[in-house]
Amino acid sequence: MSDSVALNHSPEIFDNMTPAEFEERLPDLFGIGNGKVSEDPRFAIFLEKNPDCAALVRDLEIIAETAAKLFGPSDDQDPADSVWDNIAIKMKNDPN
Amino acid sequence: MRSMILEAQTGMQTKPNPGLFKRNPPIAGEAEAIERAKEGDPDAFSKLYALHKRRVYTLCLRMLGNVSEAEDMTQEAFLHLFRKLGSFRGESAFSTWLHRLTVNLVLMHLRKKGLNLVSLEETINPSEDDAPKRDFGSRDQQLAGSVDRVTLERAVSSLPPGYRMVFVLHDVEGFEHNEIASMLECSTGNSKSQLHKARLKLRELLRNPEQFAAPASGKEGV
Repeated sequence: MSDSVALNHSPEIFDNMTPAEFEERLPDLFGIGNGKVSEDPRFAIFLEKNPDCAALVRDLEIIAETAAKLFGPSDDQDPADSVWDNIAIKMKNDPN
Repeated sequence: MRSMILEAQTGMQTKPNPGLFKRNPPIAGEAEAIERAKEGDPDAFSKLYALHKRRVYTLCLRMLGNVSEAEDMTQEAFLHLFRKLGSFRGESAFSTWLHRLTVNLVLMHLRKKGLNLVSLEETINPSEDDAPKRDFGSRDQQLAGSVDRVTLERAVSSLPPGYRMVFVLHDVEGFEHNEIASMLECSTGNSKSQLHKARLKLRELLRNPEQFAAPASGKEGV
Protein backbone atom coordinates (compact mmCIF):
# COMPACT_ATOMS: atom_id res chain seq x y z
CA MET A 1 0.00 0.00 0.00
CA SER A 2 1.47 3.36 -0.95
CA ASP A 3 1.91 6.00 1.72
CA SER A 4 -0.30 8.52 -0.04
CA VAL A 5 -3.15 6.03 -0.12
CA ALA A 6 -2.47 4.84 3.41
CA LEU A 7 -2.52 8.33 4.89
CA ASN A 8 -5.71 9.26 3.13
CA HIS A 9 -7.77 6.62 4.92
CA SER A 10 -10.38 7.45 7.50
CA PRO A 11 -9.10 7.51 11.08
CA GLU A 12 -10.86 4.23 11.91
CA ILE A 13 -8.52 2.42 9.54
CA PHE A 14 -5.55 3.57 11.62
CA ASP A 15 -7.23 2.36 14.81
CA ASN A 16 -7.28 -1.19 13.46
CA MET A 17 -3.83 -1.42 11.91
CA THR A 18 -1.60 -4.28 12.96
CA PRO A 19 1.75 -3.34 14.53
CA ALA A 20 3.48 -4.63 11.38
CA GLU A 21 1.36 -2.37 9.16
CA PHE A 22 2.11 0.55 11.44
CA GLU A 23 5.84 -0.10 11.32
CA GLU A 24 5.73 -0.32 7.53
CA ARG A 25 4.20 3.15 7.38
CA LEU A 26 6.40 4.75 10.02
CA PRO A 27 9.15 6.09 7.69
CA ASP A 28 6.52 8.13 5.83
CA LEU A 29 4.64 9.12 8.97
CA PHE A 30 7.81 10.60 10.43
CA GLY A 31 8.44 12.41 7.16
CA ILE A 32 5.35 14.62 7.31
CA GLY A 33 4.23 17.42 9.56
CA ASN A 34 6.57 18.10 12.45
CA GLY A 35 7.63 14.47 12.61
CA LYS A 36 5.77 13.97 15.90
CA VAL A 37 3.74 10.84 15.28
CA SER A 38 2.95 10.67 19.00
CA GLU A 39 1.03 13.95 18.74
CA ASP A 40 -0.96 13.04 15.63
CA PRO A 41 -4.57 12.49 16.73
CA ARG A 42 -5.12 9.97 13.93
CA PHE A 43 -2.89 7.49 15.74
CA ALA A 44 -3.90 8.19 19.33
CA ILE A 45 -6.22 5.20 19.67
CA PHE A 46 -3.85 2.84 17.90
CA LEU A 47 -0.91 3.88 20.10
CA GLU A 48 -3.01 3.56 23.22
CA LYS A 49 -3.94 0.01 22.21
CA ASN A 50 -0.36 -0.88 21.23
CA PRO A 51 2.04 0.24 23.94
CA ASP A 52 5.04 -1.38 22.27
CA CYS A 53 4.42 0.73 19.17
CA ALA A 54 3.96 3.79 21.37
CA ALA A 55 7.31 3.06 23.05
CA LEU A 56 8.99 2.69 19.66
CA VAL A 57 7.57 6.01 18.45
CA ARG A 58 8.60 7.73 21.67
CA ASP A 59 12.16 6.40 21.45
CA LEU A 60 12.59 7.37 17.79
CA GLU A 61 11.28 10.86 18.52
CA ILE A 62 13.72 11.22 21.43
CA ILE A 63 16.61 10.22 19.16
CA ALA A 64 15.61 12.73 16.46
CA GLU A 65 15.02 15.55 18.96
CA THR A 66 18.27 14.86 20.78
CA ALA A 67 20.25 14.90 17.54
CA ALA A 68 18.71 18.22 16.50
CA LYS A 69 19.28 19.87 19.89
CA LEU A 70 22.60 18.52 21.01
CA PHE A 71 24.67 18.90 17.89
CA GLY A 72 24.62 22.69 17.82
CA PRO A 73 27.44 25.04 16.81
CA SER A 74 28.82 24.93 20.37
CA ASP A 75 29.60 21.26 19.80
CA ASP A 76 31.68 21.95 16.72
CA GLN A 77 35.31 20.91 17.02
CA ASP A 78 38.58 22.42 15.88
CA PRO A 79 40.68 20.68 13.25
CA ALA A 80 44.38 20.16 13.95
CA ASP A 81 46.64 23.15 13.22
CA SER A 82 48.37 21.07 10.54
CA VAL A 83 45.23 21.32 8.39
CA TRP A 84 45.73 25.06 7.87
CA ASP A 85 49.49 24.59 7.44
CA ASN A 86 48.82 22.17 4.57
CA ILE A 87 46.23 24.46 3.01
CA ALA A 88 48.59 27.45 3.16
CA ILE A 89 51.40 25.47 1.48
CA LYS A 90 49.12 24.24 -1.30
CA MET A 91 47.68 27.70 -1.85
CA LYS A 92 51.17 29.08 -2.34
CA ASN A 93 51.93 26.38 -4.90
CA ASP A 94 48.58 26.76 -6.65
CA PRO A 95 47.76 30.47 -6.66
CA ASN A 96 44.19 30.39 -8.00
CA MET B 1 6.92 15.14 -5.27
CA ARG B 2 5.77 12.38 -2.97
CA SER B 3 6.11 14.61 0.08
CA MET B 4 4.27 17.38 -1.76
CA ILE B 5 1.41 14.96 -2.44
CA LEU B 6 1.36 13.96 1.20
CA GLU B 7 1.45 17.59 2.22
CA ALA B 8 -1.49 18.40 0.00
CA GLN B 9 -3.46 15.40 1.18
CA THR B 10 -2.80 15.83 4.87
CA GLY B 11 -2.86 19.60 4.99
CA MET B 12 0.43 19.47 6.86
CA GLN B 13 3.52 21.41 5.98
CA THR B 14 6.90 19.83 5.92
CA LYS B 15 9.01 20.80 8.91
CA PRO B 16 11.32 23.79 8.71
CA ASN B 17 15.03 23.29 8.27
CA PRO B 18 16.40 24.18 11.73
CA GLY B 19 19.88 22.81 11.13
CA LEU B 20 20.68 25.22 8.34
CA PHE B 21 18.94 28.26 9.74
CA LYS B 22 20.45 27.94 13.20
CA ARG B 23 23.91 27.80 11.66
CA ASN B 24 23.60 30.78 9.35
CA PRO B 25 23.55 33.95 11.42
CA PRO B 26 25.35 36.90 9.82
CA ILE B 27 29.06 36.86 10.71
CA ALA B 28 30.78 40.18 11.31
CA GLY B 29 33.47 40.89 8.75
CA GLU B 30 32.62 37.90 6.58
CA ALA B 31 31.31 39.80 3.57
CA GLU B 32 34.40 42.00 3.44
CA ALA B 33 36.70 39.00 3.85
CA ILE B 34 34.93 37.24 0.95
CA GLU B 35 35.42 40.20 -1.37
CA ARG B 36 39.08 40.60 -0.39
CA ALA B 37 39.71 36.87 -0.71
CA LYS B 38 38.18 36.93 -4.20
CA GLU B 39 40.83 39.52 -5.07
CA GLY B 40 43.55 37.16 -3.85
CA ASP B 41 44.21 38.54 -0.37
CA PRO B 42 45.68 35.59 1.59
CA ASP B 43 44.90 37.19 4.95
CA ALA B 44 41.25 37.43 3.99
CA PHE B 45 41.20 33.76 3.05
CA SER B 46 42.86 32.95 6.36
CA LYS B 47 40.05 34.84 8.08
CA LEU B 48 37.42 32.85 6.18
CA TYR B 49 39.17 29.67 7.29
CA ALA B 50 39.17 30.84 10.91
CA LEU B 51 35.47 31.69 10.71
CA HIS B 52 34.35 28.42 9.17
CA LYS B 53 36.95 25.74 9.99
CA ARG B 54 35.05 24.34 12.98
CA ARG B 55 31.80 24.03 11.09
CA VAL B 56 33.39 22.40 8.04
CA TYR B 57 35.59 20.05 10.06
CA THR B 58 32.75 18.94 12.33
CA LEU B 59 30.51 18.30 9.33
CA CYS B 60 33.23 16.14 7.74
CA LEU B 61 33.83 14.34 11.02
CA ARG B 62 30.17 13.52 11.47
CA MET B 63 29.73 12.35 7.91
CA LEU B 64 32.90 10.28 7.83
CA GLY B 65 33.27 9.21 11.46
CA ASN B 66 37.05 9.34 11.21
CA VAL B 67 39.41 12.11 12.33
CA SER B 68 42.13 11.73 9.74
CA GLU B 69 39.71 11.50 6.80
CA ALA B 70 37.81 14.48 8.21
CA GLU B 71 41.01 16.53 8.34
CA ASP B 72 41.86 15.57 4.75
CA MET B 73 38.38 16.54 3.58
CA THR B 74 38.49 19.82 5.49
CA GLN B 75 41.71 20.62 3.67
CA GLU B 76 40.12 19.67 0.35
CA ALA B 77 37.03 21.75 1.07
CA PHE B 78 39.03 24.90 1.73
CA LEU B 79 41.32 24.34 -1.24
CA HIS B 80 38.20 23.89 -3.37
CA LEU B 81 36.83 27.07 -1.85
CA PHE B 82 40.08 28.86 -2.68
CA ARG B 83 39.72 27.87 -6.34
CA LYS B 84 35.96 28.42 -6.63
CA LEU B 85 35.38 31.46 -4.44
CA GLY B 86 35.08 33.66 -7.52
CA SER B 87 31.91 31.83 -8.48
CA PHE B 88 30.19 32.69 -5.18
CA ARG B 89 27.53 35.25 -6.08
CA GLY B 90 25.93 35.72 -2.69
CA GLU B 91 22.61 34.20 -3.77
CA SER B 92 22.61 32.15 -0.58
CA ALA B 93 24.40 32.65 2.71
CA PHE B 94 28.11 31.96 2.37
CA SER B 95 27.97 29.37 5.14
CA THR B 96 25.16 27.55 3.30
CA TRP B 97 27.16 27.60 0.08
CA LEU B 98 30.28 26.30 1.85
CA HIS B 99 28.21 23.69 3.68
CA ARG B 100 26.85 22.30 0.41
CA LEU B 101 30.27 22.42 -1.21
CA THR B 102 31.62 20.36 1.70
CA VAL B 103 28.78 17.83 1.63
CA ASN B 104 29.29 17.34 -2.12
CA LEU B 105 33.04 16.85 -1.69
CA VAL B 106 32.51 14.28 1.06
CA LEU B 107 29.99 12.42 -1.10
CA MET B 108 32.45 12.44 -4.01
CA HIS B 109 35.13 11.13 -1.66
CA LEU B 110 32.88 8.31 -0.51
CA ARG B 111 32.03 7.40 -4.10
CA LYS B 112 35.74 7.23 -4.92
CA LYS B 113 36.18 4.92 -1.96
CA GLY B 114 33.63 2.60 -3.53
CA LEU B 115 30.59 3.64 -1.56
CA ASN B 116 28.22 3.86 -4.50
CA LEU B 117 25.49 6.26 -3.47
CA VAL B 118 23.60 6.04 -6.72
CA SER B 119 21.55 3.13 -5.52
CA LEU B 120 21.40 3.47 -1.78
CA GLU B 121 19.14 0.52 -1.27
CA GLU B 122 21.42 -1.88 -3.02
CA THR B 123 24.86 -0.59 -2.27
CA ILE B 124 25.04 1.04 1.10
CA ASN B 125 22.53 -1.04 2.94
CA PRO B 126 24.40 -2.66 5.76
CA SER B 127 24.83 -6.37 6.09
CA GLU B 128 22.17 -8.39 7.84
CA ASP B 129 24.23 -8.20 11.03
CA ASP B 130 24.24 -4.40 10.92
CA ALA B 131 20.59 -3.96 9.99
CA PRO B 132 18.19 -2.98 12.75
CA LYS B 133 16.18 -5.82 14.16
CA ARG B 134 12.57 -5.83 13.06
CA ASP B 135 10.99 -6.04 16.45
CA PHE B 136 9.63 -3.47 18.83
CA GLY B 137 11.65 -4.65 21.81
CA SER B 138 10.39 -4.79 25.34
CA ARG B 139 9.10 -1.59 26.88
CA ASP B 140 11.20 -2.01 30.01
CA GLN B 141 14.22 -1.36 27.77
CA GLN B 142 12.91 1.85 26.26
CA LEU B 143 15.07 4.94 26.40
CA ALA B 144 14.90 6.80 29.66
CA GLY B 145 13.40 10.04 28.36
CA SER B 146 16.65 11.61 27.18
CA VAL B 147 19.94 10.71 25.59
CA ASP B 148 23.16 12.53 26.38
CA ARG B 149 25.30 13.94 23.60
CA VAL B 150 28.39 11.82 24.19
CA THR B 151 26.39 8.60 24.16
CA LEU B 152 24.54 9.62 21.02
CA GLU B 153 27.81 10.66 19.33
CA ARG B 154 29.29 7.26 20.05
CA ALA B 155 26.20 5.50 18.79
CA VAL B 156 26.12 7.57 15.58
CA SER B 157 29.77 6.81 14.90
CA SER B 158 28.93 3.13 15.23
CA LEU B 159 26.29 3.29 12.49
CA PRO B 160 27.00 1.73 9.10
CA PRO B 161 28.14 4.50 6.66
CA GLY B 162 24.90 4.64 4.67
CA TYR B 163 22.72 4.99 7.73
CA ARG B 164 25.11 7.53 9.29
CA MET B 165 25.11 9.65 6.13
CA VAL B 166 21.33 10.05 5.95
CA PHE B 167 20.95 10.47 9.72
CA VAL B 168 23.60 13.21 9.88
CA LEU B 169 22.22 15.03 6.84
CA HIS B 170 18.61 14.94 8.08
CA ASP B 171 18.54 14.89 11.86
CA VAL B 172 21.78 16.75 12.59
CA GLU B 173 22.27 19.07 9.61
CA GLY B 174 18.60 19.71 8.95
CA PHE B 175 18.39 18.81 5.27
CA GLU B 176 14.96 17.82 3.93
CA HIS B 177 14.40 14.43 2.35
CA ASN B 178 14.07 15.94 -1.12
CA GLU B 179 17.44 17.69 -0.68
CA ILE B 180 19.08 14.48 0.53
CA ALA B 181 17.54 12.55 -2.34
CA SER B 182 18.99 15.09 -4.75
CA MET B 183 22.45 14.95 -3.19
CA LEU B 184 22.55 11.17 -2.94
CA GLU B 185 20.76 10.63 -6.26
CA CYS B 186 18.09 8.43 -4.73
CA SER B 187 14.35 8.71 -4.17
CA THR B 188 12.83 10.63 -1.26
CA GLY B 189 11.20 7.37 -0.21
CA ASN B 190 14.64 5.79 -0.08
CA SER B 191 15.94 8.66 2.05
CA LYS B 192 13.02 8.27 4.46
CA SER B 193 13.54 4.55 4.64
CA GLN B 194 17.28 4.89 5.33
CA LEU B 195 16.63 7.50 8.01
CA HIS B 196 14.08 5.27 9.70
CA LYS B 197 16.48 2.32 9.67
CA ALA B 198 19.22 4.55 11.08
CA ARG B 199 17.01 5.63 13.96
CA LEU B 200 15.95 2.03 14.61
CA LYS B 201 19.59 0.99 14.68
CA LEU B 202 20.44 3.86 17.03
CA ARG B 203 17.63 2.80 19.35
CA GLU B 204 19.02 -0.70 19.38
CA LEU B 205 22.54 0.60 20.09
CA LEU B 206 21.40 2.98 22.81
CA ARG B 207 19.51 0.22 24.57
CA ASN B 208 22.54 -2.07 24.33
CA PRO B 209 25.59 0.19 24.63
CA GLU B 210 27.94 -2.81 24.71
CA GLN B 211 27.33 -3.04 20.95
CA PHE B 212 29.16 0.25 20.36
CA ALA B 213 32.31 -0.13 18.34
CA ALA B 214 35.33 0.65 20.51
CA PRO B 215 37.06 3.86 19.36
CA ALA B 216 40.25 3.00 17.48
CA SER B 217 43.10 4.81 19.26
CA GLY B 218 41.06 7.95 19.62
CA LYS B 219 40.81 8.49 15.88
CA GLU B 220 37.10 7.80 15.54
CA GLY B 221 34.54 10.47 16.08
CA VAL B 222 31.07 11.60 15.11
